[in-house]
Amino acid sequence: MTQPVWGPVHRDVVDLLADHPADVPAVVDHLAKLQDLLVRLPPLEASCPLADFNRLYLTITESVLNGLYDDRFADPVFLSRLDVEFAARYFDAMRLWTDSSPGTPKAWACLFARMRGPDARPLPSAAAGVNAHINFDLPFALVTTFDSLESEPVDGTDQHRDYLEINKIFADKIPGLRRGYLERWQLLIDMLNGDIDDWYQGELVEYTRDVAWRNAQKIWRCRHDPAAHECERARLDDTAAALGRLLLSPLGAFLQ
Amino acid sequence: MPSEVDTAPLVGRADLVTTVRSVLLDDVTQGKTAAVFLTGESGVGKTRLLREVAGRLRDAGALVLTGSCLDIGDASPLHPLLQALRRLDAELTGAQPRTSSAVRGLLRMFAEETAAPDGAGALLERVSQGLHLIAEGRPLVLVLDDLQWVDRSTRQLLLYLLAGLGDLQLSVLAAVRAESLQGAHPLRRVLTELRRLRTVRVLDLAPLDRAGTDRLAAAVVGRPLAGEAAELVWQRSGGNPFVVEELARDLRDGRDGLSDTLREIFLARVDALPRHAHTVVHAVATGVEPVGHWLLAQVVRLPEDEVIGAVRSAVAHRLLVSADDGYRLRHRLVAEVLEHELLPAERAALHRRYAEALTAAPAELHQARLAHHWRLAGEPARALPAATAAAREAERLHGWAEAHRHWSVALQLAAAPGVAAPDVDRVTLLRHAAEAAHHCGEHARALTLLEELAAADAGPSACALHIRRARYLAAAGRSAPAEAEYQRALEAADCTPRERATAAAHLAELLLHLGRYADAGRRAREALELAAGVAGSTSEVVLASAALGFSEAYLEDPDTGLAVMRRAVETAERAGRPEDVACAYLHLAELLTGPLNVLEAGVVVARRGAERVAELGLGRTYETRLLAIATNGLFRVGQWAEAEKVVAAALRHRPSGADAVELLLARCRLSVGYGDVEAADRDLDAVATMLAGGGARHVIPLLTLRAGLAMWQGRHDLARQAVQRGLTESRSDDVGILAALVWHGLRAEAEAHAGRAVAVDPTALRRLREVADRVARKSEHAARPVRDVVDGFLALCAAEVSRLESNDPELWARAVAQWDRRHHPYPAAYSRLRQAEALLARRSRSATAAKLLRQAYEVAQGLGAVPLTSEIRTLAGRARVSLEDRPATGGPATGADGDELAALTAREREVLAAVAEGLTNREIGQRLFISERTIGVHVSHIFDKLQVRTRVQASAIFLRNRRD
Repeated sequence: MTQPVWGPVHRDVVDLLADHPADVPAVVDHLAKLQDLLVRLPPLEASCPLADFNRLYLTITESVLNGLYDDRFADPVFLSRLDVEFAARYFDAMRLWTDSSPGTPKAWACLFARMRGPDARPLPSAAAGVNAHINFDLPFALVTTFDSLESEPVDGTDQHRDYLEINKIFADKIPGLRRGYLERWQLLIDMLNGDIDDWYQGELVEYTRDVAWRNAQKIWRCRHDPAAHECERARLDDTAAALGRLLLSPLGAFLQ
Repeated sequence: MPSEVDTAPLVGRADLVTTVRSVLLDDVTQGKTAAVFLTGESGVGKTRLLREVAGRLRDAGALVLTGSCLDIGDASPLHPLLQALRRLDAELTGAQPRTSSAVRGLLRMFAEETAAPDGAGALLERVSQGLHLIAEGRPLVLVLDDLQWVDRSTRQLLLYLLAGLGDLQLSVLAAVRAESLQGAHPLRRVLTELRRLRTVRVLDLAPLDRAGTDRLAAAVVGRPLAGEAAELVWQRSGGNPFVVEELARDLRDGRDGLSDTLREIFLARVDALPRHAHTVVHAVATGVEPVGHWLLAQVVRLPEDEVIGAVRSAVAHRLLVSADDGYRLRHRLVAEVLEHELLPAERAALHRRYAEALTAAPAELHQARLAHHWRLAGEPARALPAATAAAREAERLHGWAEAHRHWSVALQLAAAPGVAAPDVDRVTLLRHAAEAAHHCGEHARALTLLEELAAADAGPSACALHIRRARYLAAAGRSAPAEAEYQRALEAADCTPRERATAAAHLAELLLHLGRYADAGRRAREALELAAGVAGSTSEVVLASAALGFSEAYLEDPDTGLAVMRRAVETAERAGRPEDVACAYLHLAELLTGPLNVLEAGVVVARRGAERVAELGLGRTYETRLLAIATNGLFRVGQWAEAEKVVAAALRHRPSGADAVELLLARCRLSVGYGDVEAADRDLDAVATMLAGGGARHVIPLLTLRAGLAMWQGRHDLARQAVQRGLTESRSDDVGILAALVWHGLRAEAEAHAGRAVAVDPTALRRLREVADRVARKSEHAARPVRDVVDGFLALCAAEVSRLESNDPELWARAVAQWDRRHHPYPAAYSRLRQAEALLARRSRSATAAKLLRQAYEVAQGLGAVPLTSEIRTLAGRARVSLEDRPATGGPATGADGDELAALTAREREVLAAVAEGLTNREIGQRLFISERTIGVHVSHIFDKLQVRTRVQASAIFLRNRRD
């Protein structure tokens, strides 16, 4: 057989992924351990595109954790469960990739596939991860969380406000994705046509997070219908994958 | 007819089968539960493995029940269980008449179930009793396939049984399609929580490796495949056993090279089918599996022997399987392939034939299937009555989620063009749909339906609508709009006096929950005045009195509030409606044990109320709730032995949901105090199992107990983890609960500091102090009763922090004073121990320290608080303080009046009396309603205190000292 998916750190990654963190402190711990492993992944090591994303994600999750400790959110039960459920999807995608499963979300597969190179610039790499995680994972994480809390995605609620509060954390942590790059993004989007145009109208994260909330509401309505639900899942995966591939293409380098 | 043409061997799963068998059977101790959830992609062999394991467990003497969940989203509640029971019923051939009659009895119970308050909980209890009868002492295994389609009622039943609440030795083996879990499936969250428990395993079924693939292919073909062919199978199958088997079969039969994908494999086979077999396969694909033979025959409209011939051929082509209860497609993947092969008109025609055939012959899931087929046949007018009937059927079994879906379908059908059914009233449909949505937590949907109802011509009055909307909004946690709706109801012109009283009472309750005590009191008084003028408004009186009682208690006029609440009990007793009486007692007991902190009186009321409501036939619901209040009160006043009895009595009702969680937490609190690690762990796991299905409110008490238990075990790191999780998942306005949690966190750090086995975490410490400060700030503005609770814990927090630095005895003295004032002996004794420790460390006032230790020791001994007692003993030993030194009362073994037993607690004497009767620990446990394990703990304490080694010696001392 060919060499294992995670190269020399394969065993460590598999062992780490065998654990399923169930609270936010454990998620942070998990991401930190993962970071240590990813930067040891040849050939790119510290500049591994997945490590670029993981680093950013770790920073953001640490901020969320601090926010929870600092009483920043109105409904910490909702937010902490969402955070755990959200992260679980990233770990799930890695687990599927580890098994070379055809079920790996395409949105993630395009980033995972680049771990062996060629190198991509850190900003578009991180952005590709953010894209997969927000455009694909987040709506489903939201629905699962609401379902388990016997609540619902309703605009203007405490949960919605807490959810939007995360945008500020993203904004703090990814200045590069904000205004400074706006014009270039716009230019890039202009070169494209169709679907992707819908995905970008303002600032990437805020806009896509809003899209994720809308998508969650959409999935919420069809969550008891397996066929419609699967259809929605495939649609989101395809769209996120298209954007992800674009970010990792030479065009993406243009962002940085 | 053979069910399969030929079956390939199970390859590469031997270890897994062994593991699952031991988890589900060999490792399960008497009376416990276990579960294995198998996840894996389609075709990886989950169903096959279930069958294999089920067979082995059956051979080993287990009673195995097998069912599968259905993907028609509008199935019926508890369908997989009912299916499993029917299958078992069919298998029992008269050789086991007792089991057979137990199975029929349970099935009859389902058939006779009627909607009732707390029906869902009572149903769970009856199901577990029924299963108990069926099992007859054998281990029971519930095997469920396609769990991704499980209905909500079955999900709750599983958690209830796995939490051990059914008092049944049960194992669950379930398969879940991994693909389904990728989306927003509710099971994801359930599995995340369950997989942390020791008794639950979530096993991911991976595809076969290369060697396994080769072995399976060789077994199918009959000889090892040549290099190129083997490589081809491996490449194309990716190790998926289902695909390997089919590819290998094609190779063997000389059909190689045709099929790149499964889709092509099956399409080729479908194409190769004879005409009738083709028809049969499509008919089964359109039906709801299993499709009975008679039904298939009617749908395909062929003579008997032609149907049989066609089925044979479809089975031979490996598209269909046949079992006693009917036909199924060989695999879900086949259904997906076939889905696109029929024209819409062909499919609709098949559905019509199903519907027609089923109309004539009622069967399993009758109405749901009828509705399904008529709808897909494009006959809304005929589907409508079936959907309505299915909704009522679901409501009968308390499946509100399913009922809601059926009502929604009914509404859609009623709106279809051409459905002018005069007998179906749209307003009625809307009303039912909204209420079902409200009950199953679809709040937004319930509100939308209510808007449609408001727009309808013959809808309810404006006031009734406002009240209903307010109720739905309050249930959704949207208090501000709910308050506005109650206001509107009160202002509505068409509001009847009764409705006005209702709205005011509920508004008062809502305001109370929002902490607006003055407003709540005002509204409650208004409600009481309104209710006084309306006959039969006892419920409103009870509700408003409770709101008034609590608001007065918070506003520091407790006597007035108490008087109002006591009057409400009398009013309810006079009116005589059981629910009102029960609610009144409940609120009175909560008021006394809660904000008023008059624990003894509260316990008396709770116990008297429990007896009273049991007479009124509300044992399962209100009696358990009242007993939970009594238990918690008894725990706090230090009557643990009594608390233990009460909680055991309450649990005999096999409560479910939040009631069960309350009681399990109460019992666990006792076990943590006693230091009975195993019993505490079991209750913690049971609570976690229940909470996996929802219920965020109890998470913090659970984590607090987990931390407390971990500390007695010296696992300060685990305690820290539990507290950290709690801090990130609690609302800062629950100051009382948060304060207790923070104290546990600080105590863990302080004990880590003292014990040195685990390092102190400075970040955790900083955060805990910040949260403690925040709690202090917030509680400054809280009502007196809330502040009292918080102050006790904050005093402990301050003292624990000091323990990490100078350990100031004065801070511990303050904690002692706080808890003494509130009459809570346990935390007071703990604080005395620490105060003594701090004094001794300063080598000052050792006489005071000795006195404190003796006081603490006496309390801890009296409670039976083993770990605390042993800490006191250790410290006393180090400080050479004699704990037994009480010359005035005489030393042991001197008096003639039972003094040898003086050191025993009341509970220990009871246990010893039973030991002297020659009972075993299990028998004693059954007699005293506590676990065998707890008895073991008591017995070892008795031996310890009496300084004996055997039961005979202990019995001798008991008999010598018996006062008779």
